[in-house]
Amino acid sequence: MSPARRRLLPWLDARDAAGFLGGLAALAALPLVLDVYAHNLLTVAFLAIAGALAWNWIGGFAGQVSFGHAAFFGLGGFVSARLLLAGALPPPLAWLAGAVAAGAFALGAHPTLRLRGPYFSIATIGLGEATRVVFTYWDRFTGGASGLSLPVEAGEKYRLYWWALGLLALAVGASCAIRRSALGLKLLAIKSDVDAAADCGVSPALHQDVALVLSAAVVGASGGLYASYFSFIEPTDLLGFDRSISFVLMAVIGGVGTILGPALGAIVFVLVRQYLLGSYPQLYLGLYGALLIVIILFEPLGLWGLGLRAVRRLHRRRDPALAGEGRT
Amino acid sequence: MQRLVDMAVSAVLLAGLYATMAYGLGLIYGVLRIVNLAHAGVLMAGAYLGFVLHRRLGLDPYLSIPLVLAVTFGFGVLLYRGLVRHLPRGAAGGPQSLLLLFGVWLVLRNGAYLIFSGNDHVIRTSYSTRAVEVLGGFVSLNRVAVFVVALVPVVLQLVLSRTYAGKAVRAVAQNASSCTLVGIDVERVYAITFGVGTALAGLAGLLSATLFSFNPSFGTGELLKSFVVVVLGGLGSIVGTSLAALLLAVVEVFAILVLPAYLTSAVGFIVLVVVLVLRPGGLFGQRVLG
Repeated sequence: MSPARRRLLPWLDARDAAGFLGGLAALAALPLVLDVYAHNLLTVAFLAIAGALAWNWIGGFAGQVSFGHAAFFGLGGFVSARLLLAGALPPPLAWLAGAVAAGAFALGAHPTLRLRGPYFSIATIGLGEATRVVFTYWDRFTGGASGLSLPVEAGEKYRLYWWALGLLALAVGASCAIRRSALGLKLLAIKSDVDAAADCGVSPALHQDVALVLSAAVVGASGGLYASYFSFIEPTDLLGFDRSISFVLMAVIGGVGTILGPALGAIVFVLVRQYLLGSYPQLYLGLYGALLIVIILFEPLGLWGLGLRAVRRLHRRRDPALAGEGRT
Repeated sequence: MQRLVDMAVSAVLLAGLYATMAYGLGLIYGVLRIVNLAHAGVLMAGAYLGFVLHRRLGLDPYLSIPLVLAVTFGFGVLLYRGLVRHLPRGAAGGPQSLLLLFGVWLVLRNGAYLIFSGNDHVIRTSYSTRAVEVLGGFVSLNRVAVFVVALVPVVLQLVLSRTYAGKAVRAVAQNASSCTLVGIDVERVYAITFGVGTALAGLAGLLSATLFSFNPSFGTGELLKSFVVVVLGGLGSIVGTSLAALLLAVVEVFAILVLPAYLTSAVGFIVLVVVLVLRPGGLFGQRVLG
């Protein structure tokens, strides 16, 4: 990035902001030309992107790979659903309540953040599965294995498109803000060497807590929107291990730790799942597994990394003086 | 009182199985510093392998043990040579090897699903319903047999501590780069260790299949339980592993006295989180975790 670019905020320059707002406006106007199928697909994709980006704050920036994000997704979903069923709150506030509940739960998961690397990952599997078991049997809250049905309001599902887009915009904005702010640098420092970071006065506990709570809150909100969108939820779908896996896969396919890579991963994930579920429903987990293996072996930065390589190659071809440079 | 004795007996028998599962995971972690998430997939594969051999060829599950061990050992070696070898190890390669082996697990799971569908299966033999008397109570003959087979890690421990090859493995675990100086083929040791750890997972899966029903997602809970045992019991100590396995089995079996039945399936997961958070140094203060 050239230093000459104008910056609106320390982490935001004018060109990025314009691109972001333009993209947002285009997506907001898109339903004018879309059919219902594409409209629905995009809504689901927006929720997936928001979740993948949020997972990346703790899994990518802080390097703490979580296999338990389904717990936050499910908690947000069920809290929102319960509040909506009770008629206590209008939908946006119910989703917000879901986000707050998930964030609070993440704060409760604080002790697991003392663990690093694989130990944290394994602990999150345990946490996620324990939450799933409790939710499956807690019929009074979750309706047990038969789940909860939400009242369907005319036009509600159609309007959810813009709410999902709002959540997506929030997640994109927050991703850039976190990555380019002091918080992001501190998280990267913690990822590289937790002891060295602590010696420099960066509190691993505090910063990881912040990242996990933010991540859980956004995932919780997307769970709430998901509940309203499908108007039927049950614990195995929302809290199953497959749900947790999906966050990991989207982020890894797109590019772990890159700012917007997970968004690419989520788009691919949703599209592939949509087509495979139609024609080869038995294949999709294995396909993702194979993709995961290939990506880890050949391009750990995923699709984002592939894109970077392509861009670099183009630059080199256009400007022979640069050839051989830019290995970073 | 008799009921408590019965529960204690079943806890001890269960502990044998847990020790076998955990020993494989701990061995790979101890030598290669990799948490093998494919462990769960191999457990499941071992169960299905025994199931196929029993149903198609009429092979008794206990007679198919050598075959299952050989197949899963070969798979482990291939996995190491083909994939794991290319990744950085230790702290640097943490998330990468974790995700790679996770991908292997997904592929195995999906493969089993394609071949066997998602239905539950169990290996049922003519003696599945036979029981023997132990300490005044009756236990299934199968459980006792599983416990006996589960003494394999003891043999392995003897190999590791008493033989020349075992010494090489322990040396690689301590300092791989120095081993190259004294002529130990480190890559070979890694491959064999990975194979042996994987074979133990296959064995544990086969044994589980004679006791419990299984489906393609079988193994998740077992992976977590193995991990609890490894963390609690430490590495390379058969005494530590056995005690930790016993502790976990006792907590699980006796949880039914104080918890509602449906929550007992969450006990293993909760023990896992509690152990990791409160006692990451293990029961005996030996620190396994980096």
